[in-house]
Amino acid sequence: MSSQFEIVGIRPADAKPPVRRQKWYRGKPLFAAALLGLIVAGCLGCGYIMTKDPSYMNLSNCNVAPDREFLFGTDTMGRDIFSMIWYGGRISLFIGAAATVVSTFLAIVFGALSGTAPEWLDTLLMRLTDILLSVPNLLVTVLLQAILGEANVLSLSLVIGVTSWTSIAKVVRTEVRQIRGSEYVIAAKCMGGGFFYILRKHLTPNFISSIMFMVVMNVRSAIVAESTLSFMGIGLPLEVISWGSMLSLSEKALMTNSWWMILIPGAFIVATLLCITSIGNYIRKKANNTQSNL
Amino acid sequence: MNDDILLDVRHLTHVFPLSKKIAVKALDDLSFQIRRGEIFGLVGESGSGKSTAARCIMNLYRPAAGEIIYKGVNICDPAQFRTHRKMLQTTRQLIFQDSSSSLDQRMKVCDIVAEPLKIHRIRPARGSLRAEAEFQLRYVGLDAGFLDKYPSELSGGQRQRVAIARALSMEPELLVADEPIASLDVSIQAQIVNLFRHLQQEHGFSFLFIAHDLAMVEFLCDRVGVMYHGRLVEAAPAKELFSSPVHPYTQALLSAIPIPDPRLERARQIRQFTEDPENFQGVLTEVSPEHYVLMREGEHHG
Repeated sequence: MSSQFEIVGIRPADAKPPVRRQKWYRGKPLFAAALLGLIVAGCLGCGYIMTKDPSYMNLSNCNVAPDREFLFGTDTMGRDIFSMIWYGGRISLFIGAAATVVSTFLAIVFGALSGTAPEWLDTLLMRLTDILLSVPNLLVTVLLQAILGEANVLSLSLVIGVTSWTSIAKVVRTEVRQIRGSEYVIAAKCMGGGFFYILRKHLTPNFISSIMFMVVMNVRSAIVAESTLSFMGIGLPLEVISWGSMLSLSEKALMTNSWWMILIPGAFIVATLLCITSIGNYIRKKANNTQSNL
Repeated sequence: MNDDILLDVRHLTHVFPLSKKIAVKALDDLSFQIRRGEIFGLVGESGSGKSTAARCIMNLYRPAAGEIIYKGVNICDPAQFRTHRKMLQTTRQLIFQDSSSSLDQRMKVCDIVAEPLKIHRIRPARGSLRAEAEFQLRYVGLDAGFLDKYPSELSGGQRQRVAIARALSMEPELLVADEPIASLDVSIQAQIVNLFRHLQQEHGFSFLFIAHDLAMVEFLCDRVGVMYHGRLVEAAPAKELFSSPVHPYTQALLSAIPIPDPRLERARQIRQFTEDPENFQGVLTEVSPEHYVLMREGEHHG
């Protein structure tokens, strides 16, 4: 007898093969995160990798194709594109992040206000958002920028942020309307929690996962908006280097047949956007999965 | 028991508009009083307005008419409410029926229990908020191991204990419990009711206990009010109400309680109760000391 107890006629369970543990990186956007991390790190540490002064205009070397000295070539004003990419990326990414902070803050406050307000105020606020949403974004941006005057990095992020909160606010409002009747919110109200206390402690943690995707996508659209505005010449001036203002040189570049001036900043923008999109997609999937953890 | 009245509800009426034309009268001229240190039970069938009364008392609804005097403050008056806001918010606490939705799923137990202290920025008596939460948890029979858990990791009875701990962390003078045991199973119900009894003796708060389980009410409460369609039809000390009910609705309600003895249970007759509007007219009249019954002038229920 092999073991102490044995039941006659029992069929022993098959020895289970050891369960292979899921690799931690399965299903995670590892490549996108790494690439984005690389770009962000390069932009933040641009002082270490720049080979030239990005704003130095070397007119004897304009329109140089990529070679060993100018890795990505030079633009029509003789600036080194390799150095400009990292230096300008800082501003583009900063605008993306700052505009997102502005718009997310506005969206959460406005959406939560509308969600907790009595019905008439809610209707009023939401129709107001609808009006803002129906006006083309670019138009409002140009108008606001014209009012603020000469564009600089801060004013541009403010303008982009102020024009892009509406759709997030709508999602926040819907979520808040569902949560506000929950008994824990009523209990907090009974205990004397004010609007901002309840917003911070109870509402935001419960709806943050559903707007996370939109927030990440907002970084992307803010970078695009900056590039668009700069390309059209109403964003950052030429001497402030950003990916968008680098692209604004591209029409001249087309005539001189210098592809590197368009392709290289363009490629960086596209790569960054794709990485952000892929991370945002992952966040959305995860938020949907873990909604019900009961 | 002293006769100091803590809460005085006078002619409270609340109406829910369903549409522009139709409205439901959830509370209709409801009056009762709760003394300091007393457990007052409010019973009645579903939809009789028990929860609406609780929510009016907690200022969650603004009643259409009538007044609620709490410690001499008319809490239905917005101006008086504002001047006494802090006192009202710290000394009245509410416990809900469904503990799974009355606790925030994304907060840990220690944060939930200490939440009222955090809102009012009260210096915890036991050093840190965490120590305070641990103390309150121990009071309701949970140990420190629960501090870092989330509500979804607890059972229904444990969650209700956490909700009670949260309400008690402010040392309230009035505790309103809106069907606190209705969503629990029977053995846990008994535990929670025993806990309430014990806590009430320790803290001495006044307690408005809303339930539809008559046996629990008989066990726990000092005085009981019976509600029907938003009206109080009978109010009496618990013993007297259960031994000699006067109003036909109360008699019918009490005759529906099963008796845990098969021979007596077989003989039990459920009294038929007809919705005779005659029975719900008139005023509360004292038939014996402390025993009030809704009846018309000069009328006498057999």
